[in-house]
Parts: sequence; C-alpha cells; structure tokens
Amino acid sequence: MTPRPSVVVTGIGVVSAAGCGAAPFAEALASSDLVRSSVDRSAGYHRENSSRTAVLSGGADLSEWISPSKARRMGQPSKQAVAAANMAVAQSGLESNDLDRAAVVVATSYGAADVTENILRQAMLEGPDAVSPALFTESVANAPAAQVAIALKARGPNLTIVQRQAGPLIALAQGVSAIVSGKSSIALVGAVDEVNPLLHSILDRFRALARPDDDGIETARPFDHRRSGFLAGDGAAVIVLETEDAARGRGARPLVRVRMTGRAFDPFAPRTGWSHDHDLLSESLRKSLFTNGVDTIDIDRLVTGGCGIGPGDRIEALVLRSLFGDAPLPPVLAPKGVTGESGGGFLGAAVLATTGSPFGPTPGFTHEDPELGVIPHDGHSLPDPTAVLATGFAAGGAAAWAVLEPVEP
Amino acid sequence: MTHDSRVVITGIGSVSACGWTASDLHRGLLSGVSAITHPKNFDTSGQKTSVVGEVPPAPETVTQKIPEWASLSKSDRFAVAAAIEAVEQSRLSTDLWAAGLFFGGSTGGMFECEEFFGRLLKTRSGHPGIRLQASQQINSPGDAVARHFKLTGPVQTVSSACASGTLALGMALDELRSGQCDVVLAGGSDSLCLLTFSGFNSLRSVDSRPCRPFRADRQGLSVGEGAGVMVLETLEHARGRGAVPLAELLGAGASCDANHMTAPHPDGMGAAAAIQSAIIDACISADQVDFINAHGTGTLQNDISECRALHEVFGLRAASLPVTSNKATIGHLLGSAGAIEAVSTVLCLIHGVIHPMPDEGDVDGQMELDIVLGASRPIAPESVAISSSFAFGGANAALVIAGWKRGTVG
Amino acid sequence: MEYTLPSGEARMGESGTKEEIKRIIIEALNLEGMTAEAIGDDDLLFDEGLGLDSVDALELVVSLEKAYGVKIGSDDATRESFRSVETLATLVDRLRDSSQT
Repeated sequence: MTPRPSVVVTGIGVVSAAGCGAAPFAEALASSDLVRSSVDRSAGYHRENSSRTAVLSGGADLSEWISPSKARRMGQPSKQAVAAANMAVAQSGLESNDLDRAAVVVATSYGAADVTENILRQAMLEGPDAVSPALFTESVANAPAAQVAIALKARGPNLTIVQRQAGPLIALAQGVSAIVSGKSSIALVGAVDEVNPLLHSILDRFRALARPDDDGIETARPFDHRRSGFLAGDGAAVIVLETEDAARGRGARPLVRVRMTGRAFDPFAPRTGWSHDHDLLSESLRKSLFTNGVDTIDIDRLVTGGCGIGPGDRIEALVLRSLFGDAPLPPVLAPKGVTGESGGGFLGAAVLATTGSPFGPTPGFTHEDPELGVIPHDGHSLPDPTAVLATGFAAGGAAAWAVLEPVEP
Repeated sequence: MTHDSRVVITGIGSVSACGWTASDLHRGLLSGVSAITHPKNFDTSGQKTSVVGEVPPAPETVTQKIPEWASLSKSDRFAVAAAIEAVEQSRLSTDLWAAGLFFGGSTGGMFECEEFFGRLLKTRSGHPGIRLQASQQINSPGDAVARHFKLTGPVQTVSSACASGTLALGMALDELRSGQCDVVLAGGSDSLCLLTFSGFNSLRSVDSRPCRPFRADRQGLSVGEGAGVMVLETLEHARGRGAVPLAELLGAGASCDANHMTAPHPDGMGAAAAIQSAIIDACISADQVDFINAHGTGTLQNDISECRALHEVFGLRAASLPVTSNKATIGHLLGSAGAIEAVSTVLCLIHGVIHPMPDEGDVDGQMELDIVLGASRPIAPESVAISSSFAFGGANAALVIAGWKRGTVG
Repeated sequence: MEYTLPSGEARMGESGTKEEIKRIIIEALNLEGMTAEAIGDDDLLFDEGLGLDSVDALELVVSLEKAYGVKIGSDDATRESFRSVETLATLVDRLRDSSQT
C-alpha cells in the first residue's frame, strides 16, 4: 500500500464573536475574552426564567471579505462561510484557478436557523403563497458549502456534514480523504452555525444551556463540578488543506499537519445526549490511535469539546482519562468556554492550538469534579505542542478525533 | 487505476409511496402507474400544487420489528424500516458490531419540528412539547439506524440536498476501500414537510400533475418521501461468510457546478464531470455503461441540463442508452432520492429489467435520448448502470453499479 | 425581505406605482446602497440590466402579490411583463383594476 501523503493546513479564516479574522479570534482565546450577548427574547419563544445569553458572531464586519452585493441573498451562515473561506484562501496564497478541482466540506449542526424560522413563519402565519423563494434557497443545510463553491469556483466534491459536536472533525476527515484519494488536490474544510432566538429557546428547553449563578451571570464551566450547561455560540471557520509537497512546491508555509483522523459511534447514547458508560468510545479511540501508530506518550496537548454540559463533559473526561491510564493528562484546552458551543470555534481553536497559539485560563473553571478528574488549562504559559489530540463527542452518540502536528517552517 | 478492495451490495431496503418494502417499490416501478397522488395525511391546503409521493401507513409486519417506534420521527421510521429490510436480506444481523453508517437527508425530523413550532405560534393546538424536537436534527434518521443495530463504527450524515443519498453511498464506498470497515450501512431518509413543500412551490418548480421527466410538456418535480438503505461490504468479507452479492458498487464520483444556487449549469458540465469521475473511479470506460438511472426530476432545467451532460459523457451513444427515472413513480425524495435511486438500480439489475416511467406524454423533441416509457426493458444480469443525482446548490454525484454474475462467487 | 405599503391608501396612477415598485425591488431583493432614483423606468431589470436572476423574479412576484393584494399567475409572470419597472407597473395596474371589477 502506498504511504499516505502528508496533508497540511495552509490557511485559516474565522468569523467569531471576536470579529472577522483568525487574529482577533486567537487574541480572544489567549485572553479568554468571553463575549456574551443578550439574546432577543421578544418573540416570546423562550420559557419563563430561561437562559438569556449566548456568544454571538452576527455583529462581525464581513465587508473586507464579502461584498454586500454578493451577500444580498445569503443567510448569516453562508456569508460567514464565504468570508472565512476567502480569508483562508488569501492566507494560503492559492490563486483562484488553483481551486477548480477543490473539494468543499462544511459541517453544521443546525443549518440556517434564522432563514428556516422565517420560512415557517411565512407559511404558517401568512400561508404557503407568502413563502419567499430566495429564503428557501438559503434554508438548505448545504447553502454555505454551495456559496463557498460559487464564490471560489471550486468544482470538486461538495459535502455538508451534519453530526453535531462531531461534525467539524468528521468534515476534516472527509477533506483529508478527498486529497488522499487523489480526487482533489485541495480541500476547503469548514464549520459554521447560527444561533438565533428560536434555536436558543429550544436549547434552553432541552436544559442544555448554562444557568445563571448567584450573581445572575450565565457561565459555561467546562469539566467543573458546578457545570450547568453550555453557552450557545456561532460563527464560522474554514481551513485550506493540501498535500505538503504541493504546498512547499509553490512556496507556501504549512501551518499544521493532519497526522490522523478517526470516527466512531456509541449506540447506547440517548438521541439527544451521551452515554453513562464510556467503555465503547474509549476502546474505539484507543484502537484508532494504535492502528495509526500514535502513542499517548507522544500527545502533549488536548483540545476538547468540553463546554459545560453535564453528561457531555463527563464522557469526554472519562474517555480521555481511560486513554491515558495512570499517566497524567497533558494540558487540557476547552475552547468552547470562550467560543460557545457550535459554529467554527472548535475547528479554528484546534488548528491555532497546534500552531502554539496561547490559550488563557478556562473560563468558569473553579472546582474540579472528582468523578471526572480533569483540570482544564489555567492559562499559564505552555511550550509549543508537538502533537495535539482534538476530540468531539456528539449528542446522540457520534464521535470524531484528529491528531494534529505543527509543521517546521 | 485499481482499488485494493471490491465492494458489493448484499442487502437492500426501501420505503416509498409504493409501500414499505423494496418488493413494493419494484412492483410499483414495473406497474407503469405513478404512485404520486393527492395525499391522505399530508396537508397541502393553500399550496400551489397538491400531489405528492406520500408513504402509506406502516403495516404491522414493519412496526412489530421496531420496539422504539413510538419515539421515532417519520423520517427515523422510514430509515429504520428500510435498514431492517436490507439487513435481513443480507443475513448479517449478528455481525454488525464494527459496521459504519453513511446516511443522507435534507430535513430530518422537520415534520415533527413544524408541529412544535406551529404549537409555539399557536397556529396549531397542543402543547409545544420539547420531545417533538428530539429528532429534528438532519442526522437523526442515520443515528436511529445506528442505534437500532448497535453500530460502533464511523457514523455520519451528509446533507447536500438532492445529492445527499448518492454522496452517502460514495462515502461508504471510500470507507470500505480504505479497509477501516468491512461492512457499512448506507442510504438516506426524508419525510414530507411544510418547509420543503412550500419552498419548492415558491420556486414554482412543482408540477400540478405527477411529474413527467424528459417529457415535452413537463412542468416540474413532484415531492415524495421515504428511505433507501443498502448493506455494503467488501467482497472478501462477503465471500468469507458465503454471501452472494446482489450487485457491485464499482465507483463513485462527485463535483460541484459552482454556478448558481438553484439552476443547474445549462451545459450540464458539472453533472458530466460527476458521471465521468464515477466512470474513471470504477475503472471502466463509458462504452461499458448499459443504462442510466437518471436524476430526472421533471423540471424544465434539470432534464435538459442532464440530457446535455449525458451527451457530453457518452457522445453518439447517448441517443441509444436507455434512460429511466424513478421520480415519475415515487416523486423526488430530496435527501434520500439518491439512496432510493441506487436501490431501484439494484432492483433493475437483480431482476434483469429496466423499470419504465409511466407513459404520459411525448419525450421532449430537443432531447435525443432513449427514454424508457410504459414497458420495462430486459437487460443482461451483468449490466452496468449509472445512478446520478444533481442537487440544489450545484452538488453533483454519480455511482456506477454493476449486476452480479449469477452462478459465481466472485 | 418584506415590504409593506405606507399606511393609508396606496397611491393610484402610474407614476406613483412605479416609485413604489422601485422601492419594493430594492427592499425585497436586498439591493443595499441602491436608490429608487438610480433605477430608470425603462432600465432592463434582468441579466445585463440590474443583473437580477430567476430567483429574484420569483421573489419579486411574491413581494408584489403581498404589497398589492393581487395574484400573479404564470401567464402574467413572463419575461416581457418583468422586463422593466414600466412593464411591471402596467401589469400591476391591470391586475388591480381587474380584481376590483
């Protein structure tokens, strides 16, 4: 079997609550600058005493990366995905005609929440004849991936993955697969989500959202003993993947190498939650690393999906503890404490963490949960990592992981 | 180019307007009568059109096999039922532990989500119970199948509109070739809902009559619902347990028009690229293709664009390659269309007949294609078919599926 | 993407309708930065003109139907009647007149 080519990241674009660009996003992670917004509850969707805040990216100014005329029919996820893709391609140095066979793989948990709500409001309150055709074209989950392809004239395979918290790393695996199979020489891999009031109210009804503390502030507390839910978050991230040979051949600077990816499923998870027993997922992860020649001794950084949700943080913690056995865990990063749950934050943070981008103290963490035994990063300065394990455990049972390495210039 | 592993299909299942089994689908497809009609349950009031491919109520033979029935959404139920049929046919029931799942869909439990939202808006009566939202996610039907069969391999759902099902099968093919899994379940599921029915009507792309793909007087698509599921495994794994394949999945290809959100590229270049990519991936030549199970939605734009794509790929042969579409019988199943189309293709191959479309109206004179209307066409068991899907947003996908030679184990 | 007429009776007469239609086009189709003054009565709306496409056409149908309370059937939703603001105004006035008889 021919050895698999080295696949690297050569560009990254992010739209987040910190604004437009990977730089402000990296700064927010470094200073643990959590940007909370009040969610508009005037539509009356929320239950009484609901959670009220989220980490929202809707205010980011995209005008440098997508013109209003191009964006005029796009929903927020599409606009942000196109802006992030343009940023990533600009950083990679690729020209537009290099992208003709590029694959586009985008993960989303919720699709175009706002557009979908508006269509249903039109249909239900005014009748089906009132439905806006332009809105419908943006309501499909693959609208962001399609708009990225149109913007970049990327005519390779176009995929949209919907698998909740495991989606971004599954999209990464598919992007790598497109390149390794030879079907595409370049893959644009991204993740995008939009949190609107209706979606926020639904997450609240599922009791998934962080509850206010005594001081009235809702704080997501990854892995903490008092964790009560996550902060919903949205935004987009897109990375450019190509073979290392091709990147170096044209003088581009690879940022990160994707050493391996893996996926598994826990069929005992309830459809909107996580299992109590971690054995299955632990075994799947262990086998996957072993098959790919990765030893836990090699891993010196963890980028987790830890976000403050009770059973979700729990199973991730137990799986990681089981993987490392008696050895202490390497530094545990939980970027969703800053970025919120969903959107491009996790994918962006995983890549940035691998380049050695600094992370501040994990917001909200004050008390270790003895059952979990995980103490996430407290913000002290860390040496650059040599191998990062990023993990995503989805509600409903899907799981995905990746091992990323920095690349010497 | 050759691949390390050959991939075969050892079980198929489907749920559609024709009924809750693949046999029902086959019978319906061969009948030459469309199952697209005024729905008994789905509400089309106030809509521009009112015929759909609605799935009939589930028989007890189906529901009794699904203990979790009451907690599943409609699209979950279609998926699990079709998967059970496929797995039973494959006789793999106890050997699925390490299997993966690749599924396609466009709206998941949106029908139930609409019930929740309608109650929230007070346009429908009843309490907006959050359980109605529990299966809303597009990945819900695929997850429901994975849960039912206790799969622990990779599980993922792709949602690229009308190409989803075909793309899911292509991902399944790659997974099996990579050696990560020996067995994979692949398919798709979607149910009728207000969102997509209103949406397609707002685009005026729905025919008020049951759709008539490739016909001169075609006026648009018909929306349908249902699921298609296949059991795919490496040939080695099938041989090892003495299973005789139904068909072989030779190749898959995908591309994107990168042109417009709703209109296919008029030249059909993106569609042609997907088909050509599948042919190359299958390590065959275009000359070896015997028939086409087309995307054939019945919209003015898709059908002419698809016709040009076929001419681009097959040249002069295009005029005499038999072309059929199951959408004329069951409607456009959106995210699961590609999956049920692949199932229909396997049905053609194992029964040795290309199913016809109901014979309504003349073929569009601009199209030099051999459209199969009215009567089915016999084909040799080892025939090679293309199954293709071209989506909203420009994603294109195609599969090459070949019949299995009878009397051989491969 | 919704457009509602100013309160009170909609102004009758061709020139009033044309100005309203220009505002509907701008709002319903999200043409940020465009003004009604910049759209000539006879300017081509589709392709080389304002650059609108088939989805914009459908969107415009829905918006005009809502704004004027008329139904624009497929016989009326033609390239010719949607060619310019002038032709749209003629169509809208005709439909409003016939819906009142």
